[in-house]
Amino acid sequence: MSERQLKGIGVSPGIGVGRVVVVRWALPEVPHRVVSRTQVEKEVRRLRAAIKDVRRHFTELRARAVERAGVDAARIFDAQILMLEDREFIGAVAELIRENHLTAEKAFEFKTLEVRDLWTAAGNPLLKERLADVTGVAIRVIQHLMHRGAEDVWDGISQPSIVVAKELSPGLTVQLDREYVVGLISEEGTRTSHAAILAHSIGIPAVFGLRNAVERVRAAKTVILDGTRGTVLLDPTPEERAEAQRSEALRGEMTARLEEAVTQPSVTLDGTHIALRGNVDLPAEIAAAKAYGAEGVGLLRTEFLLTGHSTLPSEDEQATYFRRVADAFPGHPVVVRTYDLGGDKFPAPFRTAPEPNPALGWRAIRVCLDEPAMFRTQIRAILRAATRAPIHLMIPLVTRLDEVERTRVFVAEEAEALKKAGIEAAMSVPVGVMVETPAAAVMADRLTEIADFLSVGTNDLTQYTLVVDRGNARLADRFTPHDPSVLRLLKLVAAFLLIGLGYETLSVAPPALPLIKWLIRQVTTERARAAADAALAARSAELALDILRFSLKEAVDLSLLDPDARLPAGRRSGSLKA
Amino acid sequence: MAVIEREAQIVNPLGMHVRPGAEFVKVANKFKSAVEVRNADVAVNGKSILGMMTLAAECGSSITIKTDGDDAEAAMNALLELVAAGFYEMHLKSGDEETP
Repeated sequence: MSERQLKGIGVSPGIGVGRVVVVRWALPEVPHRVVSRTQVEKEVRRLRAAIKDVRRHFTELRARAVERAGVDAARIFDAQILMLEDREFIGAVAELIRENHLTAEKAFEFKTLEVRDLWTAAGNPLLKERLADVTGVAIRVIQHLMHRGAEDVWDGISQPSIVVAKELSPGLTVQLDREYVVGLISEEGTRTSHAAILAHSIGIPAVFGLRNAVERVRAAKTVILDGTRGTVLLDPTPEERAEAQRSEALRGEMTARLEEAVTQPSVTLDGTHIALRGNVDLPAEIAAAKAYGAEGVGLLRTEFLLTGHSTLPSEDEQATYFRRVADAFPGHPVVVRTYDLGGDKFPAPFRTAPEPNPALGWRAIRVCLDEPAMFRTQIRAILRAATRAPIHLMIPLVTRLDEVERTRVFVAEEAEALKKAGIEAAMSVPVGVMVETPAAAVMADRLTEIADFLSVGTNDLTQYTLVVDRGNARLADRFTPHDPSVLRLLKLVAAFLLIGLGYETLSVAPPALPLIKWLIRQVTTERARAAADAALAARSAELALDILRFSLKEAVDLSLLDPDARLPAGRRSGSLKA
Repeated sequence: MAVIEREAQIVNPLGMHVRPGAEFVKVANKFKSAVEVRNADVAVNGKSILGMMTLAAECGSSITIKTDGDDAEAAMNALLELVAAGFYEMHLKSGDEETP
């Protein structure tokens, strides 16, 4: 049993069952041949013509990728197109032809192998991974020079197949036929390989980084590939095939249910409406939040306005962005979180010596209050955008009441100044606190007296309560937002888990919206409250999770959730009105 | 003719991988001046994508840019701005896709 199960890296989720097709994708054998002195310039011309043709081919691939995988993924081909415009590299190939009277294909092969050796010797794993891109270009150019029909490896595949290769290039991946190629296995590559990113965007299950895959898989008639777990099962029994098909069907059903949820109202079984909003980090997510049915934006991050720029964004630039977001969600609130800068997220003008402890350092509201010019510009932009839409202001990382009071003074002063200057702006906006520190959670009763709303940021609250850096892989199993200590703080804040604790608004990353809504629609507030009370009394995070799962099991068909998937824990924040 | 040499720090979390390398080469090729980039003991042609990929400078490391030619100053300014702006991908982090 165990020899039949191979483990690699799951780089594109989903299950594929099919026969095995081994694809040889490598530099062709180039015969060693020298040309006469008089032929040398002809070889150089042949080289240039081939490069021009291949460049056109990659431009077409790029266009194909835009269609199949989206604009971002298509940029993967930019580097390959630039290689074909690389005068240093092509100049060196031409020089080699002239000096050693080599054929164009031999000279190109020689220079490609030189790059391979250099990059392999560098020992940088990322660089090694990019070799597939260089090899992809080289194969195409050399095949063209040798008048071989290029990359027709996909022809002749006419039934559901799992393709196995030593290495896959982005060019090959974007061309494959989804109808017949139901899975990809590669010896080389990781999740960040360009071919992996494309497989993921196109939606073909894939397992990469599987050592000696060609040799180990070749003899199998059929395989089951699980791109979620990163496993490959050789010659499955009929029972195993049936099991794979069953779980694939469950996934399909879940996808359908989630699609359904997008257009359904967010209400519990007993009719309580829970407002579901989206977290928006980047402008591109506005459309995603809308498509997944968000009722407004519960957390509009503003850091992207700064990153990538060497100057601070102007008031106009910010106001325009806030209006644009608000216009996308007419009638729904948009909660703008003021700059959450700090640690690695500083723009050039404020960059200081690295702090030993950035998570506990000069960041978020602390920076804003110390840099009033920057803060006031942002407040003015919020006030100006708030004339035609319900825009709220939310302060991150609050630990002291006076941080809220001082912000309120800034808001009042700027509203007054805008009015005096005759600039159209709101006289005030709701000012809220992002509760993401234990200090803010235990002071919630006082904070409600001076803030218009409280919103809990569960990721930071978990990190600061449990003293666990969520980026630290060794601590990954200790980052438990369902830890009873975190739950007790949530209860303090709500003075009553999320729905069960009396939260009336949830805000999550847009792709998680349908799943959260699907769950909301299957529980009653009573059941949620009972589950929360039981979890609050648990002695450990593991027990709390068991309790929550158990109480959910009665209401929700958990088999529909991926057996490996936990409840979505990432990027969750809940709000309540004070 | 002018020769200018400046140091610049790589600030984007993913460092000088393919896409930033491509952006750098695109900007460098807009100018007539020769562009050389050094990181530790490796020196490459700043107009060559393969050269820039070889450099593989990580976040936090310093690179030295040398521009040589009539438009050396304009080329230097444009390249320094691109590096300081983190190649317009400050928001990308390693392991972004790993977060739940």
